[in-house]
Amino acid sequence: MTRIPPQVWLLAPALVFVGAMALFPLGYSLLLSLREWKLARSATPGDFVGLENYILLLSDDPDFVEALQATAVFLVSDVLLTVAVALGGALLLQRVGRLNSLARTLLILPFVMSPALIGISFRFFLNAEYGVLAHGAGWLIPGLKDTVWLADRTLAMVAVVVSDVWHWAPYMALMVLGGLASIPRETEEAARIDGASAWAVFRDITWPQLLPVLAVVAVLKAVFALKAFDTIFTLTNGGPGNSTKTLAYFVYEQGFNYYDMGYAAAAAYLLTAILLVLAGFYLRLVFARGR
Amino acid sequence: MMTAPTAASGVQGTPAALIPGYVAPWPETARDWLARMLVFTGICAILMPIAWILLTAFKLPREVYSLDSALVFTPTLDNFRTVFEPPWNLGDKIVNSLVVAACTVLLAIPMATMAAYAFSRFDFRFKQALFLVVIASQFIPAAVVVLPYFLMFKQIGLLDTRIALVLVNMSIVLPYAVWMLKGFIDAVPLEVEESAMVDGAHRARVIAEIVVPTALPGIITAAVFSFTLTWNEFLFALIITKQDALTLPIGLIGFRTERGDLWELMAAGGTLITAPMFILSLLVQKQFIQSLTAGSSR
Repeated sequence: MTRIPPQVWLLAPALVFVGAMALFPLGYSLLLSLREWKLARSATPGDFVGLENYILLLSDDPDFVEALQATAVFLVSDVLLTVAVALGGALLLQRVGRLNSLARTLLILPFVMSPALIGISFRFFLNAEYGVLAHGAGWLIPGLKDTVWLADRTLAMVAVVVSDVWHWAPYMALMVLGGLASIPRETEEAARIDGASAWAVFRDITWPQLLPVLAVVAVLKAVFALKAFDTIFTLTNGGPGNSTKTLAYFVYEQGFNYYDMGYAAAAAYLLTAILLVLAGFYLRLVFARGR
Repeated sequence: MMTAPTAASGVQGTPAALIPGYVAPWPETARDWLARMLVFTGICAILMPIAWILLTAFKLPREVYSLDSALVFTPTLDNFRTVFEPPWNLGDKIVNSLVVAACTVLLAIPMATMAAYAFSRFDFRFKQALFLVVIASQFIPAAVVVLPYFLMFKQIGLLDTRIALVLVNMSIVLPYAVWMLKGFIDAVPLEVEESAMVDGAHRARVIAEIVVPTALPGIITAAVFSFTLTWNEFLFALIITKQDALTLPIGLIGFRTERGDLWELMAAGGTLITAPMFILSLLVQKQFIQSLTAGSSR
């Protein structure tokens, strides 16, 4: 009897599990997306309908178009704001000091909080009658006084973005701090001795060297923005109207409010396609840096 | 203070302002002051929402629904008592969350450690491809796999069970854990292992007695990370559970009733769900942060 090579028995449990629980469902929902199946009407899958679900989604569903728009708005503003806040925070916190080390300790807290709870909390803070944030904003910006935040299409999206940035930006600042720590100090100091302004040092020396880290942060945040569901579900339920209903939420709604399994699977597959492209970017960036 | 060592004089720590030709863009003190103000604002932005939820958890309902009693109120433990009573029964949900998170970690971490060790130490065919598949599987949106899971679990009668939740959470956690642990095991020096192998020790013993103890801080970090993800998992629990296997995050949305939102109970439940995570993450903070930021530099 030949001995089983160690790498085989070491890898087998994890790989079999990932195969069974990740790749198999992926194939299963691809087949699902080619079928017509309304779970409310029948417990067994219906006929194969080819690409009909996809065609319907892309050509004749205003809700899907709105979901795409909401996803785009959320994605762009969320990624830009998170990266900006994370970069600013990291630049402020890279200097040593007691206040800074306290702040660095606190950065981890929002990240380990339940996203569902964050959504609930912001809904509470934005309550028009007794919400602290709504009142605070009304006090700072008179135009926002007595506004019902979550009943306004634009402000509801602002609320979703703000709560997500609150959840993610501190953690992303930690990642940027890690990147800043790996940049050699000498060039910056030499430039400062030569009389370069702080802004010039940042623009010509720090920024170019930090760019790869920022790219990783941005792509990672984009992936998680596309997956975002918990906060949206507990904060706005996708509303008002369809204004904060992103693709991930759309899939959930089709599958588990309308029980239209084939249609939901097709929408989910379009989401996966976008995510896999982003994952490709991310892996290239990460592995390119490792070399 | 920004200091710049001057090579010529060899004096370490000469203040930048004293170096000839250096023009401070702003007075240093004003800049420091502004930076400190900004950091302080950031600290407030992180802490105030958390503090507000914590305060709310100790308020009576009438104090919650008015901003007049925002900071001045008589603290009460009523909310923490109420959430454990029917119909909320948060106790059951805490037990479910604990069991699911503990089982997920206890099953996933050994599997991930073994796989990470193999990826770290061996060369074999399709290694790069297999590793990429594992890593890429964390990018699969939950929305895609949730439909098949729901239908699969429905078919085999596992809907609304903790077993289903453990399986689902393992599939979420495993790729992250393999990735994190590979980094930690890469850092374990090879020599001791090799000499033990020469002495004829079995591979399993080498892993158990040499690799695991050396990489233990990393393994604990990966375990805490996995526990946090499972503890906070929401979408799958929302779909798979109904009554028996409800977890804490799903328990929270139960406080949204026909009578309106019961904020003081939500806050009490929110405090209960958050406190263990804060304690855990602060306990292993140093390593936790190192491994979380590793993705940016590896």
